[in-house]
Amino acid sequence: MICVATVRSPTARGSVRSIRFPKLPAGYRSILPADIPGRNAIVSFGAEVPILAQDKVSYAGEPVALVAGPDPVLLEELVASTKVACDEEEPQLAWESFSSDQVVAKRIAVVGDPELAFSIAASVHEDVYTSGAIEHYYSEPQGAASAYDYDKIAVWCATQWPYHVRDSVALALGCRAEEVSVRPTRLGIHLDGKLWYPSLLACQAAIASIVCGRPAKILLTREEDFRFTPKRARSSVNVRAGLGKGGELSAMDVRIAINVGAYGPLAEEILSQAVLACTGAYACPNLRIEGYAVATNTPPMGAFGGLGSSHAFFAMEAHVNRMASAMGEDPADWKSRNVLRKGSRLLTGEPLKEEVPYEAILARLVASSDYRRKYAGYELVRKRRSGRADGPLRGIGLAFAYQGAGAFLSGDSSNSYTVEATLDKELSLRIFTSAAGGAGGVRDVWRGIAAEILGIEPDKVTIATPDTDQVPDSGPSTLSRNVSIVAHLVERACLAIQKRRFRDPLPLTARSVHRVPRPIRWEGGQVSGSPFDTAAWAGTVVELELEPWTLEPHPLGVWICVDGGRVVAPGRAAASLRSGAADALGACLIERVDPTASPLAYFRYALLPLEDLPPIHVDFIEPSRRAPVKGIGELPFDTLPAAFISALSQAADSAFASLPVTPARLIGALGVR
Amino acid sequence: MQDSDVHFPKDLPEALEIMRKRPGIAFFAGGTDILREQGSIGISLPPEMLFIRDLPELKRAGLTERFLEIGAAVTASELLDLGDAALPPLLAEAVRGIGTHAIRNLATIGGNLACRKRFMDSWPALSCLDGLVELRDQGGATWMNVNRLVGDDARPSVPEGGLITRVRVPLERWDAYALRKVGPRTSPTPDTAVFAFAARVEKGILTEFRIAFAGELALRSPSIESTIIGRSLPLSSRESSSIVESYRAAASFLPEGLALQFGSLVDAVLGIISG
Amino acid sequence: MTVSFILNGEDVSAKARSADRLSDFLREAFALLGPRSDCRCGHCGRCLVFLDGRLVPACLVPAFAVRGKEVVTIEGFSQTADYSDIAEGFKSAGVESCGFCAAPRIMAASALLERHPRPMPREILEYMSCAPCRCTDPEAIVRGVVAASELRARRLYRRAGQ
Repeated sequence: MICVATVRSPTARGSVRSIRFPKLPAGYRSILPADIPGRNAIVSFGAEVPILAQDKVSYAGEPVALVAGPDPVLLEELVASTKVACDEEEPQLAWESFSSDQVVAKRIAVVGDPELAFSIAASVHEDVYTSGAIEHYYSEPQGAASAYDYDKIAVWCATQWPYHVRDSVALALGCRAEEVSVRPTRLGIHLDGKLWYPSLLACQAAIASIVCGRPAKILLTREEDFRFTPKRARSSVNVRAGLGKGGELSAMDVRIAINVGAYGPLAEEILSQAVLACTGAYACPNLRIEGYAVATNTPPMGAFGGLGSSHAFFAMEAHVNRMASAMGEDPADWKSRNVLRKGSRLLTGEPLKEEVPYEAILARLVASSDYRRKYAGYELVRKRRSGRADGPLRGIGLAFAYQGAGAFLSGDSSNSYTVEATLDKELSLRIFTSAAGGAGGVRDVWRGIAAEILGIEPDKVTIATPDTDQVPDSGPSTLSRNVSIVAHLVERACLAIQKRRFRDPLPLTARSVHRVPRPIRWEGGQVSGSPFDTAAWAGTVVELELEPWTLEPHPLGVWICVDGGRVVAPGRAAASLRSGAADALGACLIERVDPTASPLAYFRYALLPLEDLPPIHVDFIEPSRRAPVKGIGELPFDTLPAAFISALSQAADSAFASLPVTPARLIGALGVR
Repeated sequence: MQDSDVHFPKDLPEALEIMRKRPGIAFFAGGTDILREQGSIGISLPPEMLFIRDLPELKRAGLTERFLEIGAAVTASELLDLGDAALPPLLAEAVRGIGTHAIRNLATIGGNLACRKRFMDSWPALSCLDGLVELRDQGGATWMNVNRLVGDDARPSVPEGGLITRVRVPLERWDAYALRKVGPRTSPTPDTAVFAFAARVEKGILTEFRIAFAGELALRSPSIESTIIGRSLPLSSRESSSIVESYRAAASFLPEGLALQFGSLVDAVLGIISG
Repeated sequence: MTVSFILNGEDVSAKARSADRLSDFLREAFALLGPRSDCRCGHCGRCLVFLDGRLVPACLVPAFAVRGKEVVTIEGFSQTADYSDIAEGFKSAGVESCGFCAAPRIMAASALLERHPRPMPREILEYMSCAPCRCTDPEAIVRGVVAASELRARRLYRRAGQ
């Protein structure tokens, strides 16, 4: 086995003039773009990312060459001694205001007559909300290994999308897809950081294996991973909202810019999801939304626990809370009046097909968190206090949002996902899906569904290893589709087997295919289609206090109430919401990545210490018996940050619009010297 | 690839002998400071090192009537194991704030004070407590107050070539003390700093008043302290405001966020001692 | 240089470079895959081992620093009754793991229970911060360690009575 290390561009933008390697000992060799047998690119939703940048480089740290050899410590030294000379150009780093050549995706949606509605609105409220980049800090850094296995090239990597790896490696090697066998390794927690990037590393490992004629592995150090792999994209959302005399939402004008870094893979998807979520959970008859995915000369940025909607929900919910507070109204009441109802028109014109359980969720949250009394009490204190001696500064915030279940939204034609199941003579069921690389919890959900339908014990249900030679393409494991789509496909396959099993001899195999009924289309300011098949809804309350001496925000409690349809494993679902809430709190308090910051930024990045977490209460609305299983994993990030910033704004009596809030801003806002 | 030459002396005299023969040799005790900002696969070390972590003279800790004396290679965990009866509470609080439990099992008190890049957790508390360090070099042994480990530029100034061998903490009564760590705690950042405060009151008069604040830069102002000592409690609001203003001015060289937090902490402390 | 030490109860010896971290040294020289060199700055806890009975991040320990010392990795620790108590306690409390943090968590729990046999929730969470992970459910972890502490106490009580 040889190890592979990456030679990277020292400059953010320019062209490679030369790469000078030190004298390489026997057993070590360099790999350049010219050594790539097939195409020097991976393709992700229409964007092309070079496997090794040739001529042009688009971000500092972009791979330009590889060095392979047996000793990883020596490889590090050889890479450090390699000189990459570039003709530098001025990097494009600005993204909140940007030039047209930076736009890699644009979405516009117009409904009604927003300008007229603004002209007659009783009040207009405007602000800009920004979300920063966050490090995934997944369970392990990214890497891949590759070797010949008889007549195939085998690839091992932790990936959310095994078939994307297969197709990418085939393209890079110039061979047929059937000649590549992807054997996913344990994925752990990924937070959507392993959707497409593993394909890049898999290509590099496969190329090194072919070129060197030996098994090869490339493993990024955690520091490399932090500095050069995709992070959560940064966003800036300018929200202008018009309210009628009764406080009803009558007009909206939203401009969202998302910094997708270089190349912008997933840019279309992230932007689409963000734009569709721009109105939050509210009905608005007149609106204009403009969304831009902006390329900059930083590492590619993208998904984080979802594909863009959390940026919009943060802005919308924070804005709604601020508007209500400015009018002297409890935001919970404002939401009651303006929330979507069954039949409300969504942005696409489609009517909402289900009831929105806002009142039920609110009632639970009010009961468990004492939200109403605390909000009123803290508002009184906010308006009347005069100094530190008045006691601790506290605030409480409420946010409400949804997580839509469905396929990707940008009309990608490969929106067809397959699951297979086989019942054998011993009445054991085997499920075949490429989505099986995720955490064990969801496999138990599938087992439970299968066991219940077929009347067998769950331990008689096994999940095949998601080797692409053995399993069909079930699409990428993202957007909670393992729980919504794949679980549904498992259900259908088992129902098909159950229908035939007493008639036809065993073994029996059934195949279940999901196709997106009507993909989203964006044309000329109009968007049409079905943004989601069904949605899970959640409300979150955050209560916090400013620590009396340091004035740092200290969360006192988090309450989450979810209507997630049929919850197959409530204990596990609650655990996942609690850990999601912990992650979201970390993003609110301490986690922030600045791609242009010092290299020491890696060592200074940390997750929120567990002892700093407040109690996190999770509650579920009991579903009807026929309710489908819905994905809920994104809901903490969709709701908690807005609830947090609203609570902080109340505690500090100052309107904050981006997280985390630095001590300087907080103390300055408090006027404490 | 050059291997570092690592010397493993069995006791302090042997270590001093090696130091004499190899002036400027680097020291390795817990190693957390050398290694915590190296993310590469291989560790990069100076070409020659003296491994001092296991020197028996540096591992001792003991109490006399007047002092707590700690060997420089005593780890943070071992220090906490001495218990509340032996460890001044201000120092205990500071040491508890070092990293995680696992890091505290490696980090040494000597290493914590000898860091050249920034002040670590123990300095502010030791400054308030009049802590002393023993430095050994070719010339012999010298005891110096930890306040002398601060340069004119407010950055750490650890004498070159000297080995910290012991730390001595006077055991005195303090009537009021507090310690707060601000900023990210898991690993030190430019926004991380420790605030320490100690005061002594006799018959309603402040007989001692110390504030030390340090992150990448350190702040301790004996001149301001001397204007506070001798005042009667409770302080009037005018006195408190004046003291806060003095400290604000003294803290103007700190980064803005830390300066503001420091001012807030001084304000809070004055509120506490004024009842 | 040759480094001789006690590893999981056995006397061992192997060559190491000054540049080798203990976490890599254990994997490469002794094929012990439990400790992982992940963050390499002492944060993530994936490399936790016991060094002379104390929990330390092996990525911050040069290989040469363990000469004459005793190192216990998860492979060695998993043979102990302490491990069984903790694993059983975690299982009964429904503590789940992404798979990468299970071993360091168990070792952190052991270090905690050694010093605090009946830990409070805050102490539990402080020790578990030695092995932070995105998959952590704080409530489950507290339940798991409490369950482990009870099993451990019962075992030690039984042993004392014999």
